[in-house]
Amino acid sequence: MESFYATKLDEFAQGKISRRALLETLTVAATTTAATSAASAPASDPALKIQLVNHISYNCPDFKKGADWYSKVFNLDQVGATKIDVALPFGKKGEKPFGVTANDVPLSSLIIRSRDLNAPPQGGGAPRRKSRALIEHMGYTVADFDRERAKAELKSLGVENVRDGGLYSLHMTDAYGYDVQISGVANNALTDGA
Amino acid sequence: MEKFIDRLIRDFESGRLGRREFCQMLGIASAIFAAGGPEANAAPAGRGFKALGINHVSYLCPDYTKARDFYSSTFGMQVTNDKGKGRANLAFGPGPDKGGNFLVVHNPGANPPKPTEALIDHVCYTISNWDEGKVRGALKAKGFDAPTGRDGSLHVYDPFDYDVQFANAVQENAFRRGA
Repeated sequence: MESFYATKLDEFAQGKISRRALLETLTVAATTTAATSAASAPASDPALKIQLVNHISYNCPDFKKGADWYSKVFNLDQVGATKIDVALPFGKKGEKPFGVTANDVPLSSLIIRSRDLNAPPQGGGAPRRKSRALIEHMGYTVADFDRERAKAELKSLGVENVRDGGLYSLHMTDAYGYDVQISGVANNALTDGA
Repeated sequence: MEKFIDRLIRDFESGRLGRREFCQMLGIASAIFAAGGPEANAAPAGRGFKALGINHVSYLCPDYTKARDFYSSTFGMQVTNDKGKGRANLAFGPGPDKGGNFLVVHNPGANPPKPTEALIDHVCYTISNWDEGKVRGALKAKGFDAPTGRDGSLHVYDPFDYDVQFANAVQENAFRRGA
């Protein structure tokens, strides 16, 4: 199908078809083609093959403030609150994660926490190691992503430091200045950084 | 879709997108349209966005090749977009254009990230068809003799001492907290 796109693009570049004709032809072709590019990595041991992110453990000074920002921007419910944390699943109870068919893969969620990471572990054990790696930003997939519309929406929500992230995503900072990226599904393992 | 293609044509006309990239992006968009279902194309409800899930986790470390090899050989993540230039994408879950997640492992860039008051102290991954004996046996074969945690939810450290948790749907499920 890509050779068809290339042919039509060449015809447009050579002035053989109009921009409108190119747009209509490609739209029809793209929406009636069921192409797939799913990747399936052979796991070294199937028992350890990861299916999806289960949760992201996000630690900040005031978990309620942090959670409210994510609820506001991403329309996420807050469930299972304790004195130190709350979970924000990406969906409603009973729903399956986007793109997942297995019954034993729960919705991914954010767990927003306020805890002392240097505190000795409960019940003894070794203290937490000091990591030399850092999760320096998180990317989230949103439905019907349109960069310009998203910018306007973020502005109306009072989100700070909104900036372009390549052709198909936006970056911003959350309530604690943490770098957050949003995109549609077009930003994926094959296209990001390609 | 028409709006998306219109933008692609604009990017092509302005030179921001090459012929090859144009065709690739359209191919991907077509696949997404065909496979994404209503969620991927649905308008967000009310204010804010309809979040579908995690897109990627951006992991900064001193040597991305070590992280790449660890996560691919231990957890079966698929290496993509590794051009030997300090970063790689490690895909897992559904297909990349169908809601799959990926871990971007990368070396430090020219501009170090600004310190913030927030920190992601660990990432937990779901393993389907969890078999306690097989999971622990596979870990042992990889040299992890004493993972911490509990049955159905375990922790190990990666090569850069980053806390990695993996669990089944019973032990780690937002709707079962406190159950």
